[in-house]
Amino acid sequence: MHRNLPQNKEALLKSYTTRLKDDVKSMLENFEEIIKLAKGDNESQLNRMTQIEQDTFEMQVRAANIVRAGESLMKLVSDIKQYLILNDFPSVNEAITQNSKLFRTKQQECDQKLMSLRDDIAADLYDLEDEYFTSIYK
Amino acid sequence: MANSVNISIEAPIENQIQEITYDGQEIYQAPLSMSENLARLAQKIDFSKADDDYCNIKKEGESSTDVKSEEDKDPGYQSSLWPWDSVRNKLRNALTEVSVLADVLSIAKEKRYMVLDPIQAEQPESRPMVQVYGRKKALSAAGAVLLNGVERLRASETMRMTRNMPDFHIDLLRLRQNWRLKKVSNTIVGDLSYRTAGSKFSQTGVFEVTKAPEDQIAQAMSLNASGPAPSALRVTVPPELQGVAFISVLCQKEQEDVVTATISSSAINCPGTLFGDGADLHWQQKLEAAQNVLFCKELFARLAAEAVQLDASIPHMVVGNQIMATVLPGIQLLIGLCHNNRQNTNGNTDNVKTEGATSNKNEHDHVLEHSLHQLLRAVHHANTHHPFPHPATGPLGPSKRRSLAGPMAADRYELLEMSKEQSLLEQIIQQAQHFFMRRRSEYVLDTIAKEVKDPLIVSHWNALNSPTQSCVKINIMANGYDAVCRTSLVVAVGEKTLKCICRDGKVRHLSYELQELRDLIYCQVYQHQMTAVQAVARCMGWQLLASSSHLGSGPVEPLGNASSCLLASPYGDRMIAIRCEPSVGIQVFIAQSPKKDFYVSELVQDKKWEYLGGAFKEVKLEKMEGKNFLNKMELLMACLSSTS
Repeated sequence: MHRNLPQNKEALLKSYTTRLKDDVKSMLENFEEIIKLAKGDNESQLNRMTQIEQDTFEMQVRAANIVRAGESLMKLVSDIKQYLILNDFPSVNEAITQNSKLFRTKQQECDQKLMSLRDDIAADLYDLEDEYFTSIYK
Repeated sequence: MANSVNISIEAPIENQIQEITYDGQEIYQAPLSMSENLARLAQKIDFSKADDDYCNIKKEGESSTDVKSEEDKDPGYQSSLWPWDSVRNKLRNALTEVSVLADVLSIAKEKRYMVLDPIQAEQPESRPMVQVYGRKKALSAAGAVLLNGVERLRASETMRMTRNMPDFHIDLLRLRQNWRLKKVSNTIVGDLSYRTAGSKFSQTGVFEVTKAPEDQIAQAMSLNASGPAPSALRVTVPPELQGVAFISVLCQKEQEDVVTATISSSAINCPGTLFGDGADLHWQQKLEAAQNVLFCKELFARLAAEAVQLDASIPHMVVGNQIMATVLPGIQLLIGLCHNNRQNTNGNTDNVKTEGATSNKNEHDHVLEHSLHQLLRAVHHANTHHPFPHPATGPLGPSKRRSLAGPMAADRYELLEMSKEQSLLEQIIQQAQHFFMRRRSEYVLDTIAKEVKDPLIVSHWNALNSPTQSCVKINIMANGYDAVCRTSLVVAVGEKTLKCICRDGKVRHLSYELQELRDLIYCQVYQHQMTAVQAVARCMGWQLLASSSHLGSGPVEPLGNASSCLLASPYGDRMIAIRCEPSVGIQVFIAQSPKKDFYVSELVQDKKWEYLGGAFKEVKLEKMEGKNFLNKMELLMACLSSTS
C-alpha cells in the first residue's frame, strides 16, 4: 500500500520517524545529563558557587528541554493524525460512496413521494376542474 | 699507574665533634639552632669583602647542584673567568628587572592600559553542605519545570475530557468526509468550488481551516449550554464568497424606465446574514452558503456572457448585476444576482430595507430560479459524464450522436446541427415563454368558460408536462346532454405557439396572440351547438333536411362563417330552421304546414299548397323554458312533434 507513495510523502513520513526518535532521544539524553549533574563529580576551575549556579541553570534548561520534547511528541501525534485524516483516501472514498448512496436513496424517496403526490393532485384536479366548469359559480 | 693508592672518601660530618672519648666514640656537638646559626653567620660577615663572599656562596650553590663533579673541579676553574663576571651579570639582570618594573609601574599608574587589582586571597574552601543544598535546589527547580509541563498537558487533556470539548481531529475528519482538503505547508486548505463536479468557472473557492481558540469554544459552550456543541474548527471563507446570494428571476411588463426600475429592484430583499453570527455558524452551513454564492456567481456570469453573445432580435441587456431579456412582446425577464456581503450592508442597510418593503410583493419566480439551477447542474453533469466509449486517458470524448455520425454517414448540415447547443439563457427564455403562454391560455379558457354559459366548456390541464410543453384538453358539452354530443379538442401549449387538434382531426397552429385561441374556441362552441342540435333532433326522430356550416348568405362575419340547419318533424308538418352566427348568436325559426294563413289567391288556387309550409317565424329563445339551448330545442321539438 505504501509502495507507491510520492517522494515528498515518503520524505514526510520519514521525517515523522526521525522526529519521534529525536524527541525520545533528547528526553533520554537530557535526563541522563541531569543525573550526571546531580552526581556532581566534575572538576572544573570555576569557583564552587559559580559551578553550583551553572549546574542549576543547566538542569533547568535540560528539564525544559524534556518538556519541549514531550510537547513536540504531542504535536507529532497531532500531525500524524492530521496527515492520516487528510490523506486517507480509502476512507474518504468510502464516506463519499456512503454519502452518495444515502443521497440517492433519499432522492428516490423524494421522487416517489413527489410522483405519488402529483398523481393524487392530478386526479383531484381533474375532478375539481370538472366540478368547477360545470357549476354555475365561475 | 701501578702504584696507585686507594683513597677513601668520606663525606664531611655535618656536626662538629665535641670530644672523643677514650673508647674512640665521637660525641657530636648539637646542631646550631636557627638563631644561633644566624648569629654565627653574622659574625662571619666581613662587609669589606662582601662581594667575594657573595661569589663564594654562589660558587658553593653551584657546586652543591653538581655534587658529583665537586671533587673533579680543578682549583683554577675560576681563573678562566673574570672574577666579577657573575657579579656583573647579576647586576645587569637586576637592572633590567628593575627598569621593567619601573615601566610597568609607570604604565599602571596612568590607568589607561593596565590596572592593578589586588589579588584576593584564596577563599576558604566552602563546606560540602553548601554544595548539597545547591544541588538540591537545582534539582527541585528542574523538577518544577518538568511538573509544570506535565501539568499543562494534563490540564488541557482534562479540560477536554471533563467539559466535553469538541475534538479538533474528529471535526477535521467530518470535514474531510464532506469537503476537499489538502495541506499546504502549515495550513489546511480546502476547496469548495464545483470544479470536480464539472464546473469550468474560473473563480476559486479556497477556504482555510484553522483550529478554534479554546477560550472561544468554552465561551460559546457557556453561552448555549443546551444547544449543539460548538465546533473546534474555524473555517475562513474568502470575503467575496461570504454572505448570502441568490438568483432572482422576475417577469414583468416592459417599463419605460427600464434601467432605473431594474437597478432599484436589484436590491431585492436579501437576507442580511444567515441566522446567527459568522463566528457561531457551523462550518457546514458556512461552507454551504459560500458554495451557493459561488454557484450563483457562476450561473450569473454564464448567463451574462450568453446574453452578450446571443444576437436576439431584441438585444438582451446586461446592466450591473441584472440581465434583461424580452420574452414575449411587452414582457421582460429580469435575472438578477443578489449577493449580500456583510461588508456592503453596513453602508446601505436602510436602502435595502426600504427597497425590500416595496419589492416584497413583487414576488419572483421560484420555478424559473429552480430551473436555472437545474440547467447549470445539468451542464456540470454533462461536463463530467461523457458517453462511452471515450478514451480512458482523458475525460473528453465525442457525444453519442457524433460517434454515430460516422457509421450513419452524416452530412455537413447534420454535423453542424449537432454542434449547436442551446445556451442556458435561451432555455430559460423558452421556459419563461412557455410559462406565459400557459398562463395566458389558462386565462383565456377561464374567461371563455365564464362568458359562455350555455355549452359548458370544461378544460382539463394535463399533469404530465415538460418545462416547455403542456397540454390542455377542452370539452364542450351541454349540461344533461353530454352523452348526446360532446366536442373535444386538445391544445398543446408550446413556447411561442399553440397547436390545436380539433375533433375533426384538423391541426391548427396558433401564434402567441391569444385572440386566435379565443376565436377558435368561439367557433368551436357554435359548431358544437349546431352538431348538438342535429344529434338531439336525431334522438327525437326529427329529420335533418339540410345543414351547412359555411353559409354564404347574410352579413359577413368577423370570425368564421354563419352556419345553419333545417329540421323537419317526424310527420313532416313542422320545420325548424336554425341559424348560428358567431357574432350574433343562435336564431331559431319555425314553420308549420298546413299553414294557418293560407288563402286561395289567384295564383295559388289549389288547396294542396297549404301543406308547403308557411313563412318562418322566429322563436324568442330567451323566453322559452329550459335550462339551456339544447333543452329548449328538445322542448320545442317535443312540442312541435305532437299531432295536435
